[in-house]
Amino acid sequence: MVHEDFKEMIPARALSALDAAEARAFNDHLSECDECRMELEEWEATAAAMAVSAKPMEPSPKVRERLLNEVRKELDTVPQVIPFRSATRNLWTSFGLLGAIPAVVMITVLIVGVVMLWRENGALRERVARSEEFMQLVNTPGSRVAELNGVDGGAGATAKLVYDNAGRAMLMADKLPNVPAGKAYQLWFIVGNNPPMPGKTFVPQPDGKGMIKEQMPQAAMRSAVFAITVEPASGMPAPTGPIYLRSSAVN
Amino acid sequence: MLFCGYFRSSIRFSPAPVYSPGNRLQPEREQESDVALIKAIAARDEAALAQIYDRYRVVLFGLLMRILNNREEAEDVLQEVFLQVWRKAEDFDETRGRPFTWLVTMGRSRGIDRLRTLASRDRVAEAGAREASEATSDAAHDAFKSEQRGLVNDALAQLPDEQKGPLMLAYFDGLTQSEIATHLGAPLGTVKTRMRTGLIKLRELLAGQDASFGF
Repeated sequence: MVHEDFKEMIPARALSALDAAEARAFNDHLSECDECRMELEEWEATAAAMAVSAKPMEPSPKVRERLLNEVRKELDTVPQVIPFRSATRNLWTSFGLLGAIPAVVMITVLIVGVVMLWRENGALRERVARSEEFMQLVNTPGSRVAELNGVDGGAGATAKLVYDNAGRAMLMADKLPNVPAGKAYQLWFIVGNNPPMPGKTFVPQPDGKGMIKEQMPQAAMRSAVFAITVEPASGMPAPTGPIYLRSSAVN
Repeated sequence: MLFCGYFRSSIRFSPAPVYSPGNRLQPEREQESDVALIKAIAARDEAALAQIYDRYRVVLFGLLMRILNNREEAEDVLQEVFLQVWRKAEDFDETRGRPFTWLVTMGRSRGIDRLRTLASRDRVAEAGAREASEATSDAAHDAFKSEQRGLVNDALAQLPDEQKGPLMLAYFDGLTQSEIATHLGAPLGTVKTRMRTGLIKLRELLAGQDASFGF
């Protein structure tokens, strides 16, 4: 298909009405065509206008309440900063400063602790959000899941790669061995006897968990084997390191 | 490129509660304040989220009810949509579209996803029968007694049925072109042409109102 063919598809794409194969081809084209991307945004605005034709309805007030409660729960995990007031300085307060030093040390330790907890909490929330995103993709009609199992150096590691009809993919891996400095895991798509197609690189968390989002190469949509190797952190066009995980063929 | 620069400046929805029948042109300031609210949400401003919810709950809930025809499911999805707004506000890019389009696109997408999940469980028909007779509350109707709705409905009414039908099936039922062709018993090429022609015409009709309305 040529550019003009894709332009013809834009209104249908704005309505999410393209069939799976066309949607995949269009998405591939969109990633490299600013003109079509901009035009799609315009058509999406037209499609959005159709929403107003639906009969306006009032939801239960409980929805607002539940929403804000949910948001407050998230906000409660963020530490509140309470400003200090400076005291008037005199002889007695100067003596008091000596006693304040241990208190300042304790407060500093507490603040560092709170910040560390906050960061850990942020990381946890991010992980939960990614897991939710992964499950959404799993639940997308027509999505497929490939299981990758550790081999050789990656024995014990596992990973799941899920992708939908539009080629949106997510990989979640667990129990991965740490990689040396300057190295990273890289995903590969292997179709038949063709050379492996490179995917993204990632470095796992210290607990061995790793996640990446990918766009599936169109050639790998129908049938492919997925593998993960250790490569230089910038990624390689062809695998050079040993395979740590691989899947069976997914048809 | 079809109508691009022209139409970019044409589509402007304002939220329901700020609509003023006496002033048919939507003030740009209101639209900017939506952007400001989303920026505030990105900075974790809970009050800004409440404000954007209050502005758009009626139109989004109407959309979700049209898609799902089930109050419980629609309310659940509505909450999900605004939680997504809370969590993804920093991803909003005002250069790539207006807040209204962003919200509605997100809402419709979530609604269609839920519809497919429900359809796979054969629950839609049962729920629909229960909910179909529910009337819009007066308060909601008053709050969104908007010319915007009348304008869009008038424009849709001007489309021939063979163009309007595929558009409605795609937008509110989430059907693809092939599914629509099967549903209508029409050739796929015909459906594609009608859908494209219909959306182009809808766009022209809405843009044609730009002089006197705020789209």
